[in-house]
Amino acid sequence: MGTTFLPIASLTTGVADRDGWMAVLPGFALGIPYGLMIMSLYKKYPQKNLLQMTEMLLGKWVCKIIGVLYILIMSYFGGLLLGQIGDIYESSIMPRTPIEMFYLGGLLLVLYLARSGIEVFTRFTEVVFPLIVIALVLNMGLSIPRIEQGELMPILGQGIIPIILAGSKVTPFVMEYILFLAGILPFLPADKQEFTSLKKGVWLAVFLVGFMNTLVVLMQIVIFGPSETVNLVYGLLVLGKMVEVSRTIAGVESLFLGAWFGALVIKICAFFFVVLWSLESLFGLKGTKSHLVVGMIFMGVALNNKRGPGLVVEIGLVDNYLIFPFASLWILTIWTFSHWKKKVGVS
Amino acid sequence: MSSWMKMLKDLTVRPKGERRIRKSPSFSFDEDMNKPISGQTVKEILSKSSDIVFREFNFPGKSRIPCMLVVVDGLVDKNILDQFVLKPLMVDLNHHPDLERVTLANVIDITIQSFLPGIEIKKIVKMEEAVSTILSGDAVIFFGESSEAISIGARGWANRGVNEPIAESIVKGPHEGFTETLRINTSLLRRKIKHPSLRIISLKLGDISNTELVVVYIEKIANKDIVSEVLLRLSKIKMDSVIDVGYIEEMIEDFPYSPFPQIAYTERPDVLAGKLLEGKVGIILDGTPIVLVVPAILMEFLNVNEDYYQRAMTAILSRFVRYVGSFVAVVAPSTYIAVTTFHQEIIPTDLLMSISAGRQGVPFPALLEALTMTIVLEILQEAGLRLPKPIGQTIGIVGALIIGDAAVNAGLVSPLMVIIIGLTAVASYAIPYYDLSLAVRLLRFPLMILAGILGFFGVAVGLYAILIHLLGLRSFGVPYTSPIAPLRVRALLQDTFVRAPWWALKRRPQLIDVQEPRSKGKG
Repeated sequence: MGTTFLPIASLTTGVADRDGWMAVLPGFALGIPYGLMIMSLYKKYPQKNLLQMTEMLLGKWVCKIIGVLYILIMSYFGGLLLGQIGDIYESSIMPRTPIEMFYLGGLLLVLYLARSGIEVFTRFTEVVFPLIVIALVLNMGLSIPRIEQGELMPILGQGIIPIILAGSKVTPFVMEYILFLAGILPFLPADKQEFTSLKKGVWLAVFLVGFMNTLVVLMQIVIFGPSETVNLVYGLLVLGKMVEVSRTIAGVESLFLGAWFGALVIKICAFFFVVLWSLESLFGLKGTKSHLVVGMIFMGVALNNKRGPGLVVEIGLVDNYLIFPFASLWILTIWTFSHWKKKVGVS
Repeated sequence: MSSWMKMLKDLTVRPKGERRIRKSPSFSFDEDMNKPISGQTVKEILSKSSDIVFREFNFPGKSRIPCMLVVVDGLVDKNILDQFVLKPLMVDLNHHPDLERVTLANVIDITIQSFLPGIEIKKIVKMEEAVSTILSGDAVIFFGESSEAISIGARGWANRGVNEPIAESIVKGPHEGFTETLRINTSLLRRKIKHPSLRIISLKLGDISNTELVVVYIEKIANKDIVSEVLLRLSKIKMDSVIDVGYIEEMIEDFPYSPFPQIAYTERPDVLAGKLLEGKVGIILDGTPIVLVVPAILMEFLNVNEDYYQRAMTAILSRFVRYVGSFVAVVAPSTYIAVTTFHQEIIPTDLLMSISAGRQGVPFPALLEALTMTIVLEILQEAGLRLPKPIGQTIGIVGALIIGDAAVNAGLVSPLMVIIIGLTAVASYAIPYYDLSLAVRLLRFPLMILAGILGFFGVAVGLYAILIHLLGLRSFGVPYTSPIAPLRVRALLQDTFVRAPWWALKRRPQLIDVQEPRSKGKG
C-alpha cells in the first residue's frame, strides 16, 4: 500500500484518461492467479520459502542464480523506496533539510523493525494500516467540496482497451506483494484452519487496498480533472495541501505524510526481510552483520539514485520491467514444475 | 574480557538464571542455624538485641521441665501471651488431669493438644524456622533439651488502619485501601472474593529481611502457565532484602530497560479482586500497601476501576478523555515545535499571525524554549511532590503563576508556549498510573529534540520507534499492545476503548488464555 496511493492516479489516468479509476480493481485481480499459485505451492511444500522450493524442484545452481537475481532486485527496489522517503519529504514539506536525514531516519526505523522480528513487523502493519485508511478517508472526505462531477463524463468514452492497459500498470504493485509472500511463506501457519482464515484475510486486505486505490484515483480525477491528474505525480499530497477546516487547520499533507511514511517503512522492511531471508537460504548469512550490510546497500542505492520525477520513473521501470516479469516467470515456472513432477511421479 | 567490559555487562545484562543482585554476608550464627532446636542456642543468637524478650519458667507438675518463651518486644500482643499462653501454662495447668503424664518426650504434643487454646499453634523442628518465626512477630516456647518447639501466633504491632489510598482515590466505589500488613491485605481480598478457588501461596524473600510475600490468584480462572512463571521468577530472586515491591518488579519484569511499566500495581482491594477475576495473578508483599498484578498490558494503565462503577456511557467518555490526554501529554510540545519551526503552512494565516506576534521578541528557538519550560515544569513537579501539602501548593503557585508570568513579561518565552506546557502538564495528570505518566514525561524529551531537528518527520520517526518498542514488549508472555495488536476485536469493543454495559460483558478479556473464558456472573 505504501507506494501505491501516491502515484497510482497519475499512472492509470495516463493510460485510461478519465476512466483510470476503473482500471485499479481489474489490475489487482490480475495478481489473483499468482496468489493462488503461491498458496498451492505452500500446501505442497509447507514451511518452505519459494527459494527453497526452487532448490528442490530445479536444483541448487538454478536456485542460486534465481536467488541472486531476487536479492539484487529486492535490494535495489528497497533502496529506491528508501530514496522515495527523502524525495517526497524534501520536495513537499521540508525543502531545506538535507535529504540524507530522511534516508537515515527511514533506515533506522527499518533496521529497528527488522531487528524486532517478523512478529513485531506484522503487529506494526496491523496498527499502521488503519492509520493510513483513516488518513486517506479524512484527506478525501475533506476534499469533497472541491468535487466537479462533470470531470467523470463520458464514462468508457475510449472503450475498454485503455482500461485493460491501465490495469497492467497496477499489476506490478501486486507482484511486489506476491514476491514478499514468496519469502514469508515459512512463517505462515501450518494449521489448516488458521491458514484458511489467513487466506481470507489476505484476500480481504487486497480487495480493501484495491477499493481504496480506486477511490483515490476517482477523487483526483473529479477534483483535478484527468489531464492535471496525470501531471501530478503525488496528487494526493496536493489534495491534502488544499484542505482547510474551519479556518483552523489547513494543508494537512504533512500529517498525511506521517501515515504514508509508516506505510513506506512497512514496505521497505518487507523487502529488507526478503533480502535477509534469501541471504540466509542461499549463503547461510544471518545476524546483526547481515542486517547492517543490507541496510548499507539500501542506503547506498538511495543516495546514488535519481530524485524527483526521475525517481518515480525509475521505480516504475523496476516495477514494470524487473519485478513484474521476474515474479510472473519465476512463480509460473515453479508451479508448472511442481505439477509436472507430481504427474510424472518425481518427488 | 576486560574488567570494564565485565562491569558494563554486569550493569546492563540481567542474568537469565538466578536473579541475584547482592551476595549476602556470612554471619557467625549461620552454622548454628543448621543445628537441632535448642533454647540455649536461640539465646546465643538473639540475646545481643535488646528488644528480644526471654521469659523463662518451669512447667508445672512433677516434670518441672524448664521452659523459655521468646518474643520480640513490640511485635507481639502481650495480652494474648499473658491470657492465652502464660496463664494457662503457669496457673491453670496445676489442676489439669493430663499434667501427670507429661514427660520431655511428649510435652510438646500434649501442650498443643490439651493445654494451649488458640488457633495459630504449631510444632517447629528447625532452628532456622524457630528464629524466623520469632523475628516475624510470633512467640516460640522451647522446652528444656527438646529438639522441638512450639510457635504461637501472637502478632500484634502498631499498624496503619485501612484508609483510602491517596494515589488511587475515586469518587464512586469502595474507599478502602491496602495497608502495610500482609494479613490485613489478604483479609481485605478474602472479603471481596469468598470462593474456595482463591489461592494464597506464601513465599519468603530476602536473605536478611526475610520478607513475607504471597502470590494470589483464582485457580479456576488463572492461566496455570502464568502462575507457574510467576512462582518460578520469584523463586529465582536472591537478594539481601526486599523492602518494597519495586525491588521485585525490576527482577521479574520481561524488559527491564523499557521506560514503560510492564507490571500493574494497585493499593485497592477492589481493583485487585477485579483483576484476579480476569485471570491475573497478584503479588502482595508484607510491609507495603502496593500490590503487583501480572500480566499487564498498555491499555490497562489507562483504565481505572471506577470505569466499572459508573454507567457505561460516562465510562466511555472518561476513557476517551484519558486517551486524548495521554496523547496530548506525549506530543503537544513536539507538535508545537514542529509547527512553529517547520510547518507553518498547516496553520491558517490569521492564527499564524497571532502566534508570530506572541513569539516576537523571544530570543530562543522554539526547541530551546520548550525544553527549558519542560525542564522547569519537571523541577516544579519534583519539588512539589515530596513537600508537605501546603508548601507543595505554594511551589505550584509560585512556579506556574509567578515564574511563568515573569518569563512571559520578560520576553523569554511566548505566552503560547506557557499554554502548551501547562496543557501538557494537565494532560499528563489524566494518566491514571503514575509509572506510565513517568514514561510519558521521559519520552517527551527525545520527541521534542526530534521535532526541533526534523519537524513532523522527526516526530513521526520518534512515534514509530516508540510504537515498534511497544509492539515488542510482553508481560509474562502476553503482548503488551494487546488487544490492538494482535487485534482482538471482541476485547477491543468490550473493554478497551469503550466499556460495554455489564450485561454485555459475558466473556472475560481475551488477553490471557484463561481457563474459564465465559463469565458466569456477568450478563
